[in-house]
Amino acid sequence: MAVYRRSRRHRFFLVLLALTSVTVLTLDYRGGGDGALESVRGTARDAFAPLQSAAEWAFSPIAGFFGSIGDFGDLRSENARLRRQLDEARAEAIRGADADRERQGLLQLQGLDYAGGLDSVPARVVSNAPTNFQLTVTIDRGTDARIDVGMPVVTSAGLVGRVTEASKVRSTVLLITDPQSNVGVRLANSGEPGVVRGGGTRNPLAVDLITTEVPVTIGEPVVTSGLERGLFPAQIPVGRVLSTSAPPGALQKEIQVDPSVDLVRLEFVRVLLWTPNP
Amino acid sequence: MRSDPRLRLPIMFVAALLLQTTVLARIRVFGVMPDFMLLVAVAGGITAGATRGATLGFASGMLIDLFLPTPLGLSALVFTLVGYGVGVANTGVLRSAWYIPVLTAGAASVTGVVLYALVGSMLGERMIDGHLVTIAVVVGLSNAVLAPVAVKFVDWSLGSLKTGAPINS
Repeated sequence: MAVYRRSRRHRFFLVLLALTSVTVLTLDYRGGGDGALESVRGTARDAFAPLQSAAEWAFSPIAGFFGSIGDFGDLRSENARLRRQLDEARAEAIRGADADRERQGLLQLQGLDYAGGLDSVPARVVSNAPTNFQLTVTIDRGTDARIDVGMPVVTSAGLVGRVTEASKVRSTVLLITDPQSNVGVRLANSGEPGVVRGGGTRNPLAVDLITTEVPVTIGEPVVTSGLERGLFPAQIPVGRVLSTSAPPGALQKEIQVDPSVDLVRLEFVRVLLWTPNP
Repeated sequence: MRSDPRLRLPIMFVAALLLQTTVLARIRVFGVMPDFMLLVAVAGGITAGATRGATLGFASGMLIDLFLPTPLGLSALVFTLVGYGVGVANTGVLRSAWYIPVLTAGAASVTGVVLYALVGSMLGERMIDGHLVTIAVVVGLSNAVLAPVAVKFVDWSLGSLKTGAPINS
């Protein structure tokens, strides 16, 4: 009898806690981005930020060591590849300078925003979000630095992602490699618009909505389209075409894109002070 | 350690949260990190039974939810259930062979990850794909390795709050 009573008490407690969780879950889910719970979350993150920074500072050598264990083998070949790319990039920069001037003029004529002309805030990547399910990073700037939800995040190499949450001194950035991320893009050679979808960490991105008739070349640059109601301004480099195929009977090409930013080892990023037009 | 027993629980939670959000968030195997907050729930169930396992799970889940992009309460719900389940299956095994908590932590962590993905998917998050297998396996193994430490730590934090005789003091 005593055992029975005790297990009933246990079960009551379990039901109580589970129901509380479900209630909070429902409230947060319904409240969307600006509910009261969201401000509780923001406050907690800001309050915890200094402690986190201290711990980060204390443990960064250890974490750096573990983080790079798998990378030693890659470094030598990566170095050679980077040198080669640098040479190519120097040549391209010279060719590009003139085209850039021309393009900016055209963009201005069409009334499109160009990332190069936007104000931006530099930020440091503090950590990966403590989750295995979303590919996000936390940066050390927030609404105090005029950062807001929806702003694009870039490095000098190209597009990183989009701000999905912002508290006073911290923001969360959803990386373009996350399977939930969609970016409106344009293939540089054909000008054809498509949508880039994340494929998970260290995986190439996939491009949707490119019909089989469109010619696509390997190495072709992919940039944000900046089309009306787009989530990003135009002309931010996203990556280069890695492979392309057209399975028989398919309506669209299967295109893989190698992101131009090394999203696994991000350190510094820039948040463009630009929000999508509603 | 001589400290106010009432402070031990908050200390444990803050330390676990710091560990999870800074150090562990960077140590990733195949892009996956150990889930120490889930392990707190599991360890709670192992050392102190179903009710306290559920309570610790609820608290650690709510805490980590504050730092996640997923809806608030998702981890809390899952960790509550896991802490409770472990407690029901395992009350008192701290006295038994050392590998029992390790195996329990591994199995419970895999269950927790899968449950999290299932509930998350019901809320429209995209969580179930091939990567889920990797996540479950890596979290299961790494949590199993961390289990002895976590069990000691949680056991210490509960101190005199525990029902029955404390084991390590």
